[in-house]
Amino acid sequence: MAIDTLIALSWQTALRRELDVVSNNIANLNTAGYKTDNSAFSEYVMPVAQAGQFAQPDRRPSFVQDRTTWHDFSQGPFQQTGSPLDVAIDGEGFFVVQTARGERYTRNGAFQLNNNGELVTSAGDRVLGESGPIVLQANDRDIVVTPDGTIKVREGTSLNSDSTRGKLRLVTFQNPQVLRKDGTSMFAAPDGVQPDPADKFRVVQGAVEKSNVRAVVEMARMVQITRHYADVAHMIQQQAELRRNALQQLADVPA
Amino acid sequence: MRALHTAATGMMAQELNVQVISNNIANMRTTGYKRQRAEFQDLLYEHVRRIGTQTSAQGNILPVGVDLGGGVKTVGTPRIMTQGTLTRTGSELDIAIRGEGFFKILMPDGTFTYTRDGSFQMDAQGRIVTLHGNVLSPAITIPQNATGLTINPQGQVMVTPQGSTTPTVLGQITLTRFINKAGLQPIGDNLFVETPASGPPQDGNPGTDGYGDLLQSNLEQANVEVVSEISDLIAAQRAYEMNAKVIAAADQMLSATSNMMR
Repeated sequence: MAIDTLIALSWQTALRRELDVVSNNIANLNTAGYKTDNSAFSEYVMPVAQAGQFAQPDRRPSFVQDRTTWHDFSQGPFQQTGSPLDVAIDGEGFFVVQTARGERYTRNGAFQLNNNGELVTSAGDRVLGESGPIVLQANDRDIVVTPDGTIKVREGTSLNSDSTRGKLRLVTFQNPQVLRKDGTSMFAAPDGVQPDPADKFRVVQGAVEKSNVRAVVEMARMVQITRHYADVAHMIQQQAELRRNALQQLADVPA
Repeated sequence: MRALHTAATGMMAQELNVQVISNNIANMRTTGYKRQRAEFQDLLYEHVRRIGTQTSAQGNILPVGVDLGGGVKTVGTPRIMTQGTLTRTGSELDIAIRGEGFFKILMPDGTFTYTRDGSFQMDAQGRIVTLHGNVLSPAITIPQNATGLTINPQGQVMVTPQGSTTPTVLGQITLTRFINKAGLQPIGDNLFVETPASGPPQDGNPGTDGYGDLLQSNLEQANVEVVSEISDLIAAQRAYEMNAKVIAAADQMLSATSNMMR
């Protein structure tokens, strides 16, 4: 196969990958705590096939390679829900969730209680406070989450004294881009990366952070991808035609 | 092409979202109804280039990787158990709960169900029953010819018997709490049943130890806020359309591929 076709093919593969990323963003348009993925491509310059002894040296062929998908950690919009167990983070940081696979980090604060009164995610994983899971008692009512993440309740018939049930643990990372998406709205930290306690945040009760996917941007990206893809397909077609014509004319030797 | 399937998961999720929202709107005038919400999470990712792999013999590692997501899934439709607005009805057997707790209802098969719908009636034996004729537990029988039925905030049911001027206490309405009330399972007719997720029922008297007060001649309205439901509906519909557009785009790219060969 000729190198021009291969170069076009590398671009097409990259475009397909990018559409995969865009389609995942759009599918998660209404997923609480979801963070947009973006892709970045790099040029891969072929190290061989170079003849440098001419006055005009050969240009080395360069391919497209998808280098990375990076997460856009910008703040998502808040939706007021009124549910006292819904909390959203205004600012930096992640909630810490204890899963069977280890500690995971999430911005999705749509929490529930389980049958033991522990604060859990919708998937049933325990949400960690600064001293372990947060457990509510059977006769607790009027749950209040303060901006620093402390969970206070009124216990029993008591009217004016609050009991503290724990403080949500919020963490941040020096470079959040190293976090890997783990599904179920959670992020996993690679081995050896330790979280730091977050301090620039405010916890908002009764609200959920929606997905930060901007639909217009994703639509525009999608149009761009399909157009580029069609262009590349057209280019490959023209090259094939060029080659066919060349073969026909060169092979047309007069007898 | 993965994008096709990813967008399909998005469309399915939004379809379910519309279903949940429409049920909320349909029940906006249902006594004691608690609205539901569809919750979504992203699906597993394929790590095409894994973060932290070595890129050279000198030990350089990839700072970021290529992760491709597989779409979205519905993780649950939890109920938002907030207090609904109380409206005055005038009927003396309409009881609303202000605060925590459920009424306990004895079903014909001997099991218990729980409800926030306090629109009770009286049956032929004078017992307090639901609109379906199931008895409020513990059963309270109101004698004939009794007047001045009063239910106080602590749940005591009192009447003034014929020929008397002092009210007598007939019985005590109890409330039931669950540690995770969102874990109750709805079975229709405004009734819920206990599940392993809700925790065991805990009975208690209204107005004590965290249980709510009772309000006679009032009913608790649904806690559905129409404005937020409608805006959610618009968002769901638009998200559905955009996922359909992704499918169209993926289809277009596939057709461009197949047209390359002539």
